[in-house]
Amino acid sequence: MAVRPAGDFKITYPQDMALLDTAFNRWGFLLLVGALVLAPAWLGNYIFLLTTIGVFAIGATGLALLTGFTGQISLGHAAFMAIGAYASALLTGGWGLPFLLSLPLAGIIAFLFGAAVALPSLRIKGLYLAIATLAFQFLTEYTIIHAAGQGLGAISVRAPRIGPWVMRSEVQFYYVLLAVWLASGIFAANLVRSRIGLALMAVRDRDYAAQVMGINLLYYKALAFGLSAFYAGIAGSLWAHYNRVITIEHFTLVTSIDYVAMIVMGGLTSVWGPHLGAAFVTALSQGLRIIAPLVITVLPAFAKIATPLREIVFGSILIALLIWEPGGLATLLRKLKRYVDLWPFSY
Amino acid sequence: MAEFIASGLVNGLAVGSIYALIALGFALLYKSTKILNLAHGELVLFGGYLAIALAHLMPFPLAVLLTLIAAALLGFAVERAIMRPLFGQPVLSVIIVTLALGYIVRGAMVGLWGGDTRQFPTVLPTGVVTIGGLAIQRVGIYSAATALALLVIFWLFFRYSLVGIAMRAAAGEQLTASTLGVSLRRVFAYAWAFAAISAAVGGILLGLWLGVNFALGFVGLKALAAVILGGLDSIPGAILGGFTIGVLETTVGGYIDAHIIYGFKDIVAFVIILLVLVVKPYGLFGTEHIERL
Repeated sequence: MAVRPAGDFKITYPQDMALLDTAFNRWGFLLLVGALVLAPAWLGNYIFLLTTIGVFAIGATGLALLTGFTGQISLGHAAFMAIGAYASALLTGGWGLPFLLSLPLAGIIAFLFGAAVALPSLRIKGLYLAIATLAFQFLTEYTIIHAAGQGLGAISVRAPRIGPWVMRSEVQFYYVLLAVWLASGIFAANLVRSRIGLALMAVRDRDYAAQVMGINLLYYKALAFGLSAFYAGIAGSLWAHYNRVITIEHFTLVTSIDYVAMIVMGGLTSVWGPHLGAAFVTALSQGLRIIAPLVITVLPAFAKIATPLREIVFGSILIALLIWEPGGLATLLRKLKRYVDLWPFSY
Repeated sequence: MAEFIASGLVNGLAVGSIYALIALGFALLYKSTKILNLAHGELVLFGGYLAIALAHLMPFPLAVLLTLIAAALLGFAVERAIMRPLFGQPVLSVIIVTLALGYIVRGAMVGLWGGDTRQFPTVLPTGVVTIGGLAIQRVGIYSAATALALLVIFWLFFRYSLVGIAMRAAAGEQLTASTLGVSLRRVFAYAWAFAAISAAVGGILLGLWLGVNFALGFVGLKALAAVILGGLDSIPGAILGGFTIGVLETTVGGYIDAHIIYGFKDIVAFVIILLVLVVKPYGLFGTEHIERL
């Protein structure tokens, strides 16, 4: 736990369970939400960055629930995102369902797929499960490409419509996203301190021991996979309605690995981890996209290296983090706060 | 139809021998270090790219030799710099580290030499031989022969050389081998070097046959299928799995590809992975892992 000011005692259980337990955290969270609400005013055209971060933070939260809190490795998270995206595109486009209905439906469809993928997870675990999800990722990509006929599964998606309003501009969509983002983040934070969350962590730490204590392994593993797929489906639906045209290129293995990178960089067992990770990975990708041409203009000899620069930088950061700080950014931030709090007597 | 199956079998065995060689390194690495190396395909890529670049500068045998030395050094470096600090870390960290390693190697290869398909200068006779009415590419025959020869050499190495025996001992019973004086660190380092060498040879052979581009990295996934089929920690299983994947891919995959749905050949490996995992998770010869509280 972080350092807390002297005299700040917890004397009731609700105080102990509170998500935002100190004044610093409460004010910090208010400030953060305020900044996000006002973001379109000070970000201007760069609001797309926050939209991207939000969508991937929702997806990454799902993966964090699965990998960080339940200990099941998934290398096929983008496949669930694709299922949500295509489900939502077909529901709104083909069936004419309203966006507010297709968004949760996309999540539920993804939930069902996730629970189905989880069924063999009783027999196969760890490495084998990771390989199975990897195969699932490729098969989903293949199925979508061939179901769509040609053109990499390209499909156009309607702009989201809520009641009489059509979300055409970036800013309008951003507010829709922000509401979903906050709701999903708060839901996940509450989930991990509930009975379900504790059961999931017990499964992570030792699944058979958890079973001995009366936790139904199949139920909780399926639930974890389903929930994580639900989050991915919601993120996919939002991503589809934001981009308005989706192809399978949005949901390849690279995206799956990006998700894993997000939760590892952000911090595996932290509620804040996926959000920090999504922000970091998005900022890094965009930053490299700006830096790469600059590198070429300054050093033309490195022209070829600029294209795969992202892969090299991502790989290096992942390896460095895993070797020196497996807790990720969330732990680094906590250490920083501790250092500042205790400065200059940090012993 | 009979001709299709026969030529599929022959070509499948030829490709399968290369898969078997690559899968062998994969399985050996898993057996001795318990690391699932998702960067194996990138090691194949490394071998192919480096060998092509060197082959344009010097005679082919010298280029191959230098590539193998470079691959061994890469293996040692990876073990020393990345895997040793992560010894004993959870499965997830190790998997992600190998993914990240793959990113770096692929990025570096594509960055240095570009993503286009590159061809080796012609070193082997090209063209098609007809044996018993079956058309077979000469390159296929040569690479299959090389792969088979190497499989025999590796077998002799593990059977008779001191290092090979130490590696088998450590793979079989790590703790016992360690108390009897086998240096686990050295075994891990050799396992990585060995995996890199087998992958590099696979890269060169495939490169001679098909040319080298970044898609060569996906061969690692086929080796993964071979290893899953044979059982992750079984060397004979990996070899058999490699041949099986090669044959299934060219016959069943080729048939469905041509007659039912296009592009099926590329995902045969994944269908096999899923089927094996659901039906028999530890593969044909893998040791079943029994969990106790």
